[in-house]
Amino acid sequence: MKRNQLETLLRQHHREAYLWARQCCGFDGEMAKDVVQVVFLKILEGKAKLNHDRNAKTWLFSIIRFTAIDELRKTGKWSSIENEPELVFEETESEETNYESLVKRLPKMQQEVLLMVFYHDMTLEQTAEVLQLHIGTVRTHYGRGKKRLKEWIEADRSFEVSKNLEGFKQSKK
Amino acid sequence: MTQDKDTELKAFFDQMKEKDQNLTIPEFPEAVKTRSINWWIPIGIAASLMLGFLLLPQEEMITEPPAEVIVITLQNDENKEQQILIEEKTYLETWESPTSSLLAEY
Repeated sequence: MKRNQLETLLRQHHREAYLWARQCCGFDGEMAKDVVQVVFLKILEGKAKLNHDRNAKTWLFSIIRFTAIDELRKTGKWSSIENEPELVFEETESEETNYESLVKRLPKMQQEVLLMVFYHDMTLEQTAEVLQLHIGTVRTHYGRGKKRLKEWIEADRSFEVSKNLEGFKQSKK
Repeated sequence: MTQDKDTELKAFFDQMKEKDQNLTIPEFPEAVKTRSINWWIPIGIAASLMLGFLLLPQEEMITEPPAEVIVITLQNDENKEQQILIEEKTYLETWESPTSSLLAEY
């Protein structure tokens, strides 16, 4: 692929690439900026090449993910993300659902699988390609992540309802 | 493959996407033109060479000795009158070693 073709491709996926980079960097926007820049250079300098049989989006997402892991390792944040213990749902006093914090509570692999499938509309096969994992492993992460996140969304919702009910009761008094 | 996209989760991520609309996306990074040759290196070498030539001590011009010389001498003739004698000789014929006086025998 020629340089100008690659540039057009990157321009087309720029927004999505940044959002994915941000998600890979633990929702750190500044680090995501650097990652996108590095990925851009890697591609234009020919260090990362797109094979004809590969989907451009999965190829780009894969480079972003590995570059983000490198950046996280450099800053010493990778081990903290990877070895994060499975967190349980805790009620927070926030007014609205904090989507990012809910997703961040999931183990890293489950986060990535769910984000790719639900947020970036990718198939499980494409997700497996990006993560370079067997499809069976991806399905396991997908199932577990879905189950856990649904529970938390439910818990978050019931907490919101009870909080509103309490507020309503107090206003009546 | 078609996966059963759970409506509840779909709604959750749709709302997350909507919230992300407020995020400021950084500008597309402008392409950095990478040169295959770093031109600073040959330019530097050329400049150093030029400077070297300019600063080289200029050698003094060696003046070539004339091929022929005219020797004018005053000589007394038989009437004891002075006469000007003009002779044309090659430079080598008139050349005398600057140390020839040292060879004089006393």
